[in-house]
Amino acid sequence: MSATSTYVRTYLTRIVVVVAAVATLAGYYFAYEPISTVSNELNIWSSLITSFTLFVGLISVFARYSRSVMNRDNNWPFHLYCLAMIVVWIIWGNMIGMYSTLYQTLYMSTKITLHITIIGQLIFFSVSGMYRTFRIKSLRTAVFAFFTVLIVFLNMPPLIAPFPALSTAAYWLLDNPQMAAARAMVMCGGIGGVILGIRILLGIEKGALRVTGGD
Amino acid sequence: MISTDPWIWLSALLSLSCFSLLYGDNKFFRWAETTYTAAVVGHSVVTGLLTLRDRLYPLYTGTNLLLIIPAILGVLSLLVVWRQYAWMASVSMAVLIGVNTGISIRTLMGTDIIGNTRAVIGEASTIVAADASMMTKFGYLIRVVFTITALLYFLFTIFPRKGTAATAFDVIRDVGKYALIIYMGISLGNSMQQFVGTATSAIYRLTGLWLGLG
Amino acid sequence: MAGIPELKSEWIWGVLIVAFLIPAVNPLGVDFPDSPITNEIYDLIENLPEGSLIVMGGSGVIAFDIESSPGMIACVRQMERLGYKLVTCPLGSETPQYHKFIIDSAKVDVSAGGSWVYGEDYALLPYLPGGTAALVAYLEDFKGTVSVDMRGIPISELPIFDDFNNYEDIDIWICPHWGFVTIIRICTGEYGLTAISFAQSTAYAFFSPYMQAYPGQVYMTNGYLGGAQYERLNDMKGLGHMVQDSYTIVSVLIAGFIVLGNVTMVMKGEEEE
Repeated sequence: MSATSTYVRTYLTRIVVVVAAVATLAGYYFAYEPISTVSNELNIWSSLITSFTLFVGLISVFARYSRSVMNRDNNWPFHLYCLAMIVVWIIWGNMIGMYSTLYQTLYMSTKITLHITIIGQLIFFSVSGMYRTFRIKSLRTAVFAFFTVLIVFLNMPPLIAPFPALSTAAYWLLDNPQMAAARAMVMCGGIGGVILGIRILLGIEKGALRVTGGD
Repeated sequence: MISTDPWIWLSALLSLSCFSLLYGDNKFFRWAETTYTAAVVGHSVVTGLLTLRDRLYPLYTGTNLLLIIPAILGVLSLLVVWRQYAWMASVSMAVLIGVNTGISIRTLMGTDIIGNTRAVIGEASTIVAADASMMTKFGYLIRVVFTITALLYFLFTIFPRKGTAATAFDVIRDVGKYALIIYMGISLGNSMQQFVGTATSAIYRLTGLWLGLG
Repeated sequence: MAGIPELKSEWIWGVLIVAFLIPAVNPLGVDFPDSPITNEIYDLIENLPEGSLIVMGGSGVIAFDIESSPGMIACVRQMERLGYKLVTCPLGSETPQYHKFIIDSAKVDVSAGGSWVYGEDYALLPYLPGGTAALVAYLEDFKGTVSVDMRGIPISELPIFDDFNNYEDIDIWICPHWGFVTIIRICTGEYGLTAISFAQSTAYAFFSPYMQAYPGQVYMTNGYLGGAQYERLNDMKGLGHMVQDSYTIVSVLIAGFIVLGNVTMVMKGEEEE
C-alpha cells in the first residue's frame, strides 16, 4: 500500500471520527435544525452498520471450526455438529420466521435453557468458593465476609417477614454505604470515559481502529 | 406426571448435560456447549437477516436513498475478520466510534459526573436540614463521607508521605478502602438472589416442567 | 480435639442440590414483607392517566433478565387492567424474544384470554441495533428509525403508532434488562423521562447511584424479592415466589459453610500449634 493511500486512509478515518463525534455533540447542545438532522441521520447510519456485525460471529466460527474439522483437531466431531446445526438453524429460522411461536419455543428450549443453566451453576461455584476464601485472617476479610452474610440474611423471607425492620435495614445498607462506594466508582468511570472520548477525538487513542490497521 | 412435550425433553436433556459439568468435563457437556454455540450464531444470523430487511425498508421503498451509504459501509465492516482486508472496514468503524464517542461524552458528563456530584451536594445539605430524621441524616452523612473517601482512594495516587498531612491522607484512604470493601461485600451478598433464582429456574425446568413434581 | 477435614467441592454441591430439590418438590410458601419502593412503583403506574403509552425497552440477555421477569409480567398485567398501551424497544439481539416471552407469559393478548389487541393496545418491535445511538434515534424520531414491527407490518398500518412520534409521547419507560444504565443516561438524563426497572439483584448494587442521582425519576425493585412483592401486589404467584423458597434454604447454607470454613481454619491452626 503506497504512502499516499496510507496517509489518506489514516487521516480519513480520523476526520470521520471527529465529524461524527462533533455532529453528535453539537446536535445535542445546539438547537439548530440542520445539525440535529445530521446528528440523527448519523445515529441511524450507526444503527444500520451495527446490523452487519451480527454476521461476524458466523464468519469467525465457520473459519475456526472448518479448520478444526479439516485438521481433525480435538473435538472435531462436535465442531462439525456445530457447523451443521448453524446451517440448519439459519435455513429453518428463516423459513418459519424468527418471531413465530415455533422459533420462540426452539430458542427458549435450547439457547436460553443452556444459558440459564450455565449461570445457575454459578451458585454452586460461589458457595464452594466462599467456603474456601472467606477465611477470616484480617480485618478486611472480616468486614467483607460480615457484610456479605449480613445482606444475605437481610434478604431472607422468614427473617424479614416477622421483623420488617430488617428489610428496612437491608435497603438502608444498599442505599447508603453500598451506594456511596458504587457512586465513587461510577464517577471515576465517568471521568475515565470522558477522557477516553477526548483522547479519541484528538487522535491520541487508536484503540478499535488498530484492528483495521486504520492508524 | 412426566411431560410428553418433545421440547421440554430436549430442554431437560440439555440442562442435565450442562449440570454434568459439576461432575467433570465430559462429552455430554461438550454436546451442550456446541449446541449453545450453534444456537447463538444461528440466532444472530437470522436476526441479522431480518434486521437488515427492516432497517433497509426505507431504501427499498425509496423514502431514504441515503441509506445506501451505511449499507455499503456495513458490508465493508465485515472484512474486519480478514487481516489482509481489514483496512477496508476503517471508515465503518470510524463512524461507529465517532457516534458512540459523542454520545458517551455527553451522557457520562451529564449523568455519571454532574448528576452524581449534584446528588452528593444535595445530600450534604440534607445532613444539616432540620426536617429530616436522625437515621436519614446519618445515612446521608455515610453517603457523603464514603463517596468522597472512596473517590480519593481511587483518584489520588500521589499523596504526602510525611507529617500530619500524610497521617490524614492515610486515614482518608483507609476509610475509602473499607467503603469499597463494604460495597463489594454487600453487592456480592445481594447478588446471591440472582444466582439462586437462576438455579431455581433451571431446576424447575427439570422437576416441574419435565418430571411434573411440585 | 479432632480437626474438621476440608470439604470437597462435590460434597458442597451435593448438599446444595438437595437444598434446591426440597422446595422444588414441596413448595414452602414462605412469607415476605412489602417494601416502600415496590409500593411506590406500583402506585406510580396505578395513577397514570388511562391510555398512557409505556415503553418496555433496553438491552440484555434473557438468562440474566429472567430475574426481572416476575415483576415485568405482573406489571404488564397491571397495564392491561388499567387500559394502558405498551410498545417495545429491543436494543439487544435476543431482547425481542424476551419481550415476546413477557407478553406470552402475562397472557394479555385476546388469543390468550386477555383484552389486549395487537396493533391497538400493544406492539412488538424488531431488534434495533446500534445501542445508545439507536436509542437516541428512537427517542428523537421514532418513525424515522422504525419502519416495520416484529412481523414485518409497516408501523403506519398499526393504530398504536398513530400518535407516537418521539420521546414526548412516552409516559414512562420500563426496563426489565441489565442495560438500565443506558436508559437512565439517555431517557432520564437527556430527555427527562421517568424510568422504572425491575432490577436484577446484581445490577441493583451498581444502579443505585443513578436512582439517588435522579430522585423521583428513577425507580428500581431489588431482584427476585422485589419481583415477588410486585407479583403479590397484582395477585399473582410466579417465579418470584418460587425463588423465595429456595433462597430461604440456600442462604442458611451459605452462612453455614462460611462458618464451617472458619472453624476448619481455626482448628487446623490449633493442630499446627
